[in-house]
Amino acid sequence: MIRLKRLYPQLLPWLDVLALFQWGALLLKFYVSGQLQLLIHPNYNLLVLAAGAVFLVLSSLRAKHLIYRRRTGVNDGPLQHVTLFPPGLGAGLLLGAAVLGFVIPPAILASDTALQRGVNESLPYTRMEAQSFYNPIPPEERSLLDWVRTLNAYPEPDAYRDQGVDLKGFVIHSPTLPSNYLLISRFVISCCAVDAYPIGLPVQLKTDREEYPQDTWLQVQGRMATGEFDNRRQLVIVAEEIETIPTPRDPYEF
Amino acid sequence: MNPLSNALTLSQLHSAFTLFTSLLVEALPFLLLGILLSSALLFFVDEQQLISRMPQNPVLGSLFGSFVGFLFPVCECGNVPVARRLLTQGAPTSVAIGFLLAAPTINPIVIWATWVAFRDQPQVVVLRIVFCLIIATVVGVIFSFQKDPRPMMQPELAKRVLYRLQVRQAPEQPALLQSGTYLLGQSGSPLRLETATPADFTPPTPIKRFSAQNFRLFMDNMVQELRELGGMLVLGSAIAAAIQVVAPRELVVSLGQGPLTSILAMMLLAAVISICSTVDAFFVLAFASTFTTGSLLAFMVFGPMVDLKAIGLLLSIFKPRVIAYLFLIAGQLTLLLTLSYTYFF
Repeated sequence: MIRLKRLYPQLLPWLDVLALFQWGALLLKFYVSGQLQLLIHPNYNLLVLAAGAVFLVLSSLRAKHLIYRRRTGVNDGPLQHVTLFPPGLGAGLLLGAAVLGFVIPPAILASDTALQRGVNESLPYTRMEAQSFYNPIPPEERSLLDWVRTLNAYPEPDAYRDQGVDLKGFVIHSPTLPSNYLLISRFVISCCAVDAYPIGLPVQLKTDREEYPQDTWLQVQGRMATGEFDNRRQLVIVAEEIETIPTPRDPYEF
Repeated sequence: MNPLSNALTLSQLHSAFTLFTSLLVEALPFLLLGILLSSALLFFVDEQQLISRMPQNPVLGSLFGSFVGFLFPVCECGNVPVARRLLTQGAPTSVAIGFLLAAPTINPIVIWATWVAFRDQPQVVVLRIVFCLIIATVVGVIFSFQKDPRPMMQPELAKRVLYRLQVRQAPEQPALLQSGTYLLGQSGSPLRLETATPADFTPPTPIKRFSAQNFRLFMDNMVQELRELGGMLVLGSAIAAAIQVVAPRELVVSLGQGPLTSILAMMLLAAVISICSTVDAFFVLAFASTFTTGSLLAFMVFGPMVDLKAIGLLLSIFKPRVIAYLFLIAGQLTLLLTLSYTYFF
């Protein structure tokens, strides 16, 4: 214990080196493994790559300096600075977070988060506003996000009656929908997973929704129709063909 | 609701951790950039020259102070030492107050980070800057009624300013005719001991030139700031992620939808959580879907001006009563501005 206490001041600077190195390695790992798209908007991928590289460079420069100092015995003396944390705590926190990031892979947000954030059954809203009423994408090729954007620009459900639908998403059993309806949903990210917001459209099934457990990924083909829930008319997908698909590598829309 | 659904499940814990990681991954590059720039510029900007060009008019002074953030892109932890240096070197009060309140928000990195986080709501980015400028200017003007900053400051610090002001008021009087303690033979002119800063006693180093010594200081500064602000960021992200997953939705929604309650809640959160201004836009995104836009603005305007960890730093400059006024006026103005935004837009 006493030995440890004496060693502590010597080990402290190495904690910085380790924390910087871990973060550099973690950011690069996220970038290379493609897990980054589970965390942030792809616009900022290069920023993360650059930051990872800078962390690694900083860490190696720091290590070089420490080794040099040890070899020559030159002491820096105490650096004047206002400290908020006891020494070691800040670096320890950073190091701990990075190590956990290595051990625990990022999760794909699912129905529990969507319900917590309030996926809007009536009319899902997005913060991205459509620029015009005209949507050049043919109905069958629209993703869920394209549909929601179109709907936001022109919310009258009858306008889309009988248009073909073919889209992917995961299942949410919304408590406010009858049992032969499920909500086909996706998360949309505009900055990072923290602001991921769920969008969804109700799907009318021929059977009970229990056949498709929550969080199952589906490809739904069908036609658009108008349904009425809680005295509100809204767009409903009448399913003609439903296929269970594996969770896609890019589960979020941007 | 049955008690089981309230219990934290493993998957909830996992998504909370994912949110935590995503906050860190998005915020760390910006923190790194901010620290890199501020560490670099501290070595390259000549403060004396800057102070000699500062306007004495209170309004212009506080505006000037607000925009000095473009030269020193510091977050709220870095700005107190800089403001303190400005004050002791004779900068007008309005400039120092303007800098203290606005510099953490009005600098390129924070503006960029806010834009990244609120790409879809550009008015948030603009209003954050405008509100911040208004508050900094108003508070700057109010404080400039006190022409002499000394009574507001801690006695030890005030002593240093006293002599600097005197010297400025009587510039033609030779230094040796004034009373005081002097060091002779330092660099041509006698140095008054009372006005001396620690820097005067260390041999002058060629600041502008790139040297191994400077580079080491630069590195030390960077690592030190990264360690502290990074540690703060880790704590803040953990709290944000936990609130998102753990807090009951009904409570958050009822708090977040009221125009007044949401703003008050966010201001309180901003004061408590002390997250660095470079990354607070990402933090507040966690509340973007449930809280009013006015309250998000309140968080981003008030947060950089006031937080608990800054009080300790501020006490090294001002007397407690002055800090209380500073916080109260800034808080009231934030409330007024964001509340009127909520009602009028």
